[in-house]
Amino acid sequence: MKTDSIRRAVRFMGLVLPLTWAPRAVMAQGTATCSSYGVGVTTATVNQLLASAVVSAGELMAQDQAGDVAVPGLVTAQNVFAIANGGGDDGSDAVSSATLGAVNILNGLITADGVVAMATSTVGDANAQGSSLAHLVVNGVDVDDNPAPNTRMDLDGVGYVVFNEQIRTSTGITVNMIHVVLQEKVLGVTRTTGHIRIGSASAKVS
Amino acid sequence: MSRLKALAGVSATAVIALVGWSCEANRTALAPSGGGPLFHFQQFECTPLKMTGGGRIDYPPGTRDQNPPASHEYETFGAHVIASGQVDENGRCLADKGALEWVDHRPEMEVDGHPLNLHATEVTFAERATDATCSDGAVHWGGKLRVQNTGQENLDFEVWDCDNGEPGRDDGFAISVPEIGYAVQCWEPDYNTPAEPTCYLTGGNRQFHPTH
Repeated sequence: MKTDSIRRAVRFMGLVLPLTWAPRAVMAQGTATCSSYGVGVTTATVNQLLASAVVSAGELMAQDQAGDVAVPGLVTAQNVFAIANGGGDDGSDAVSSATLGAVNILNGLITADGVVAMATSTVGDANAQGSSLAHLVVNGVDVDDNPAPNTRMDLDGVGYVVFNEQIRTSTGITVNMIHVVLQEKVLGVTRTTGHIRIGSASAKVS
Repeated sequence: MSRLKALAGVSATAVIALVGWSCEANRTALAPSGGGPLFHFQQFECTPLKMTGGGRIDYPPGTRDQNPPASHEYETFGAHVIASGQVDENGRCLADKGALEWVDHRPEMEVDGHPLNLHATEVTFAERATDATCSDGAVHWGGKLRVQNTGQENLDFEVWDCDNGEPGRDDGFAISVPEIGYAVQCWEPDYNTPAEPTCYLTGGNRQFHPTH
């Protein structure tokens, strides 16, 4: 009886435990995609991405920079960089970032001295660590430089803004450090007319 | 029959264990326990490897914590390297390919009002560090780069790259470009780095990929 138990234990170890010891590279096989951009503007008349880096499945890295940029009447930004990193053919990791210097949105309605958007995704984890805003001012008033994820503020006559917007999915995360939603009211009905996104980074692993 | 099953099970276990063992870093016990000389990134082997990812470092001081954002004391980067374990006639471990994009946002490093931007033009060597306490893998690699701001190019650079588990908070990275006197390296006397001279990432991730 005791011998049978030992035999069963040995068989269990021999057949089951090896399955848990598969090499990490095999377990981590997946598809990684990521992208980032410094400034994204979408309205009825403007559709622009400035400094945009995109890494598709199987690719390793992309980068772009736009120096100082302006979308007249909507955004100016300095020193815009976007970097995206995938895992290559065994896509188990993705990291993307967008960085900007001084930013001015809607003729000074929102300003910041520096923006970092960073998205990281690995198998089983996604985060926005490394993201930050510096000297954030809204309508002339200093705002917390470290807003909680998805902090929303109304902008009278304009729409609203979401700071540190984090959109999570089952495969990763997208972070938009400043997302202005442009709205107008027609016959009592509010409708969205555009978006301004500053510092956007996305990373996905599936 | 039951003996055969048991034997097969044990054999399979032994084979898998051997494969797992063969993929483990060949570490030697050189890491000091504290207070002694630092020995990371001193011993290397030429082996197939890949390191990918990117991140942010808040240097100085290069600890786990972010500096106040308004200080702009941080660096961001993307970098990868791939090697197949080839060795040149001088015994140097060759890299198959790689890339580095490095942006130093510190005001004191600005060139004509723009962040210092380094861009690798060639990655020539990559060697796995066998003495670094980076749980998943450590690589010393480098090549040539260009300073995008000034056009200076053909400058030697080297990086120290540490994957110290997931999701990346304990990972480390360091860079040196001797010809222009530029370095982001963390040498902590109390051994408070992932593996000196690397600095902690405050965002992002380094990912070591076993390739065999």
